[in-house]
Amino acid sequence: MARRLVIACYRSQTGAGKDDDDPRMALSAHFGEALALGLASGPACIAACGPVLVPSLLTERAGLRPNARYLSVFLSARLLGYMLFAVAAWELGALVSLPPGPRVLLMGAVNVLLAGVLLWYAWSAKYICGASCASSKLVKIGEKKNRRAAGPAALGLLTGLSLCPPFVAAGVRAAELGSVAQALLFFFFFFMGTSVWFMPFISMGCIARNEAVITVARMAMALIALYYISLGIAMLIGRKTYGY
Amino acid sequence: MATNACVPRLARPEPRSIGWSLLLTLPILVWSLLMFFHPGGATGRQSQIAAGLTALFMTALFFMMMRTGSTYRWRRWFFVSLGLLFPVGFIYNIVLARGTMGIPMEEMIAGRTPFCFIPIPLLILPAALTRTLVFPGTIADTQHGIAAMVGLWLALTLVLGRGWCSYACFFGGIEEGVAAIPARPRIRKIDPRWRYGPWAVLLAMVLLSLALFEPAYCMWLCPFKAVSEYVAARNTIGLVQNGIFILLFAGLVIALPFLTKKRTQCSFFCPFGAFQSIFNKISVFEVKIDKERCKPCQVCQNVCPNLSLSKESIAHGEVLMSCMKCGACVDACPRQAVVWHIKGTEVAWKPERARLMFLYAAWAVAIMFGGSIIAQGIATILHFIL
Repeated sequence: MARRLVIACYRSQTGAGKDDDDPRMALSAHFGEALALGLASGPACIAACGPVLVPSLLTERAGLRPNARYLSVFLSARLLGYMLFAVAAWELGALVSLPPGPRVLLMGAVNVLLAGVLLWYAWSAKYICGASCASSKLVKIGEKKNRRAAGPAALGLLTGLSLCPPFVAAGVRAAELGSVAQALLFFFFFFMGTSVWFMPFISMGCIARNEAVITVARMAMALIALYYISLGIAMLIGRKTYGY
Repeated sequence: MATNACVPRLARPEPRSIGWSLLLTLPILVWSLLMFFHPGGATGRQSQIAAGLTALFMTALFFMMMRTGSTYRWRRWFFVSLGLLFPVGFIYNIVLARGTMGIPMEEMIAGRTPFCFIPIPLLILPAALTRTLVFPGTIADTQHGIAAMVGLWLALTLVLGRGWCSYACFFGGIEEGVAAIPARPRIRKIDPRWRYGPWAVLLAMVLLSLALFEPAYCMWLCPFKAVSEYVAARNTIGLVQNGIFILLFAGLVIALPFLTKKRTQCSFFCPFGAFQSIFNKISVFEVKIDKERCKPCQVCQNVCPNLSLSKESIAHGEVLMSCMKCGACVDACPRQAVVWHIKGTEVAWKPERARLMFLYAAWAVAIMFGGSIIAQGIATILHFIL
């Protein structure tokens, strides 16, 4: 069904569809390129998202399942961010062609929001006693109330909107495509490529959570938030962040 | 916790004889002479006088350690001297070479930044993922290249563990000196959760260094930039960075050590200290508590400059992994229950022998790193006097 939709989009934009044209080949090439770009950009994406993802993941419960759940919410929201960016990129042409002023303002706003969410998440993440507690079952009942999707979703969305270099490269390529549907699909495949690199983060569930780990993660989140907020404010007031 | 009253309180060991102490000091004297007077070493009158004074100073301190059986107070003389003299020699040389303490971006890009050990943990992830060193220094073309210095650090760290922070770090001496000034701490109660601070800074800085592709700690949080080389402030961000350096230095290295009598920067903030703690698990030298002798008086816990002892750890007969092996707890224990120890031996097995073996290794490192820095500082002062 999705494939038919894609092909219909392609045909509507390019007028292709005759027997001698092979839109599937052309689309495959586009989306193969997006997938390859995503796979190649994975380390850069991990580097860009690491400061947000690693400490916030460490405040989760131990175990592969809770960490996989967190990661799936985070990545889904990141995909949403990608999709929003894809639409914007296609509508505006290449986002990199935006004048530096608005781009810096956008980045500044994203950084300040990210810092706000990180600070809120660090503040609200509490140490939850695990199996070592005498009443771990009772604690777990309370724990479910504390688990929330809003935190990882907000963090995933905001990291999805940040303009890291491979992301901008994908934006340029998506802007060249024939339709918004193609731009969306291009980013979807780009997302799939980068997401492969995030899978090993599930193994962080194997790290035992105790008061030390949770406290370190919360303090680290606060520090990283301070960095983002200072950078964001500097961007918003229109200062150069580099160029000594 | 063993509180058996039948275990006798041990008398302080008698001081060693002068002859025996001199004999034990002899290897250190030879090492000092090798380090300070090797061919191609000190040249010029001031440098030779400085080298001689430093060799004498380091040997005399070791002799006193041997003679008195006390470690902490003699080591502190060395460490505070190192902390105070490092900026003297460093700033003089940097101003001589560059004309300013501020390091411009073009100098960093050209890799003309002097090596510092603190960014070592920040180099690992970018190097592993992208095969790029984010520290802006030369890699291998001089004896101070990154490869040589990291290799040397690793070799010494495997022996000393976090003892590095008490015998080789050229920054910690300032706060140790400040902490020694007041007779009593103004702030006594410190939330033990602050001990996690260095780990949090380490985690945040490692991740940010990977994301920003620069040693984030050096760019944003290093308090010692205030007394070494700061960012050349050519825009608002540069001013903010230097403001942060000065505030952190004033707070963590001056004010808090004075109020708490603790090494607060090392205990609550330094990411390199946290990284170095991991190597305490590998190092053969450690400090242990003989539970048979220990009466939980908490003297050791109170004197520890690094909060590396807690009630729980004392009950287990161990220090925490953040222990810097400064010897304060060993010297302070009224029952000699806190002892130097070699891994794999019984807790109370010849603690003085363990101390000697550790001190030979640690003092050799102290002379090699700290001694040369002290000599440089003295030579700089002599340059202005003579």
